[in-house]
Amino acid sequence: MRYAILLAAAAAAVALPSFLDSDQLAVFILLGLAAMVVVGLSLLMGYAGQISLGQASFYAIGGYTAGLLATAGAPPVLGLVAAPAVAAGFAAVVGIGLLRLRGHYLAFATLAMQLILLSVLAQAEWAGGAIGLQGVPRFSIGGFELAEDIQYAYLTLGALALTLVVARNVVHSRAGRGLRALATSETAAAASGVPVGRYRLAVFALSAAFAGLAGGIYAFYLGYLGPGSFPVLLSIEYVVMAVVGGLGTIAGPVVGAAGIVLLVQLLNDLGTRPGMPSYAPSVLSYAVYAVLLVLVVLFLPRGIVPALGDLRARLGRGRERR
Amino acid sequence: MSELLGYLITGLAVGCGFALVGSGLVAIFRVTRVVNFAQGSFAVLAAMSASSLLTTLPHGLAELTAVAIAAGAGLLVGLIAIGKPGTTPQASLIVTLGLGVFAYAVEVLIWGDQPRSFAGLPGAVELLGARVQTHYLLIIGVTLPVFAGMAVFFTRTDLGKALTACASNPYAARVVGIDVTRMGVLTFGIGGALGGLAGVLVTPVQQISFDADVTLAINGFAAAILGGLTRPAVTLLGGLLLGVAQALVAGYGNAAHQAEIALGLMLAVMIWRAVRRPAQLEEPV
Repeated sequence: MRYAILLAAAAAAVALPSFLDSDQLAVFILLGLAAMVVVGLSLLMGYAGQISLGQASFYAIGGYTAGLLATAGAPPVLGLVAAPAVAAGFAAVVGIGLLRLRGHYLAFATLAMQLILLSVLAQAEWAGGAIGLQGVPRFSIGGFELAEDIQYAYLTLGALALTLVVARNVVHSRAGRGLRALATSETAAAASGVPVGRYRLAVFALSAAFAGLAGGIYAFYLGYLGPGSFPVLLSIEYVVMAVVGGLGTIAGPVVGAAGIVLLVQLLNDLGTRPGMPSYAPSVLSYAVYAVLLVLVVLFLPRGIVPALGDLRARLGRGRERR
Repeated sequence: MSELLGYLITGLAVGCGFALVGSGLVAIFRVTRVVNFAQGSFAVLAAMSASSLLTTLPHGLAELTAVAIAAGAGLLVGLIAIGKPGTTPQASLIVTLGLGVFAYAVEVLIWGDQPRSFAGLPGAVELLGARVQTHYLLIIGVTLPVFAGMAVFFTRTDLGKALTACASNPYAARVVGIDVTRMGVLTFGIGGALGGLAGVLVTPVQQISFDADVTLAINGFAAAILGGLTRPAVTLLGGLLLGVAQALVAGYGNAAHQAEIALGLMLAVMIWRAVRRPAQLEEPV
């Protein structure tokens, strides 16, 4: 049953891009990239119990790494490999300090990290400053250039599949069990021999790597990067997607990202209809993020995917009784 | 010399704004253990309301009404964030984050997405050879009595004592008949008023736009963190320090680096505190 759903979803995701026009493909690609970031964030929040309000900074670092390397003439493949590596490395270094903090302290610290990064990027001449980095070449591998949007859709899909497999394997490994213990009680986990500090840092770096890889693809796909492409609100959107989908699940991030991106897109279409005021799209999307986040946290604290699981279990039990 | 004095006064005034936002965070955190991410939105909401109210109401009345609106918004945020029984502080934090984003929707809907400002106290005065806008002195002149008033409120009045009781031991407070949740919602109202006051005071010298709340909240948090989020007096000191540091950096160095200084300072203080004390003590589960 479970595998059937999974296979159907995968088949649908693979078949879908060929039916989409270019606008819809853009939504598909951005959705996939968001889902990759959220997979990492969900791992961090759900399994390691850490909240990050600066996840978009790793996305930005991945994007800038790939973009800068590519504009400097390095092969794009190198850029795409370097993007997650640099993001993870950055997270590992910053994390040594930041991860000594917990809860709301860490939330504010990661937010501060992103604000500092954005401010630095906006002043960095070598990164294009406030205007941004323009003319990032398209992605190519061995002389074959990805020129069509649909090819980026499959690149995104492949990368998303990779992150999902890595996340699943991490969760089901010995380290994953350690992480879950860590999320429940740090003291108990430490007492049972879980290297608490090292695991937390590793998950932080892994989540950064996922975001960095997504950022790298983003850079090649759009060909333009600026500090304005990675606002604080983007980090908050990732948190909303992670929380709505369900923390600590593998499918949750994808469901959360897909649900929210599609909903916002739908409202965006409504908001840009003739006769609607010019501010309608932004007002509607802010309202959606806010209302969904608040409602889910208060009434479905574990998120949509676990709630659906509970519902199925309850229905199943009802049937047995009859 | 007079240049330095000028920077000091503007820095102190801007720092008063941070301290007010921060003390709102502290008031809420002490009683509810919730860090209110929507704290900056109160300031923005009050500032925007004041800019509209000033078209019909005279100065003073318009600002006070705007602060009252922010206090009302605070009560509303409190009701949603902690009103439902069983909401953990961590969940409440995410709820306030969501409400902060919701404030964007409301603010853009009513006031548009352009930054707004309104006239404050006009003119400038000469102080020991430094010319300072009078409004900066007004900010300082309002903030200090407000902090003194808060100290009296929390230690001398029945309601303030009840709030302090909730802060020091919620269980014991409930035993003697204090409704801890109601007190918690009330602190959100106080936090809203303090944030709103910061907004109406600072806007005449610094334009405010709907997304200015992140900067305000993070500076307020930076001020509050010095006192471990629980001590209003230290928050005032932290805010003033932060304001002066930023003004000096902007005056003698590069204004673009203001934000990094404040944020870097905050990170350093937080990490230093965390290293000195084991995490388990910082955050009771």
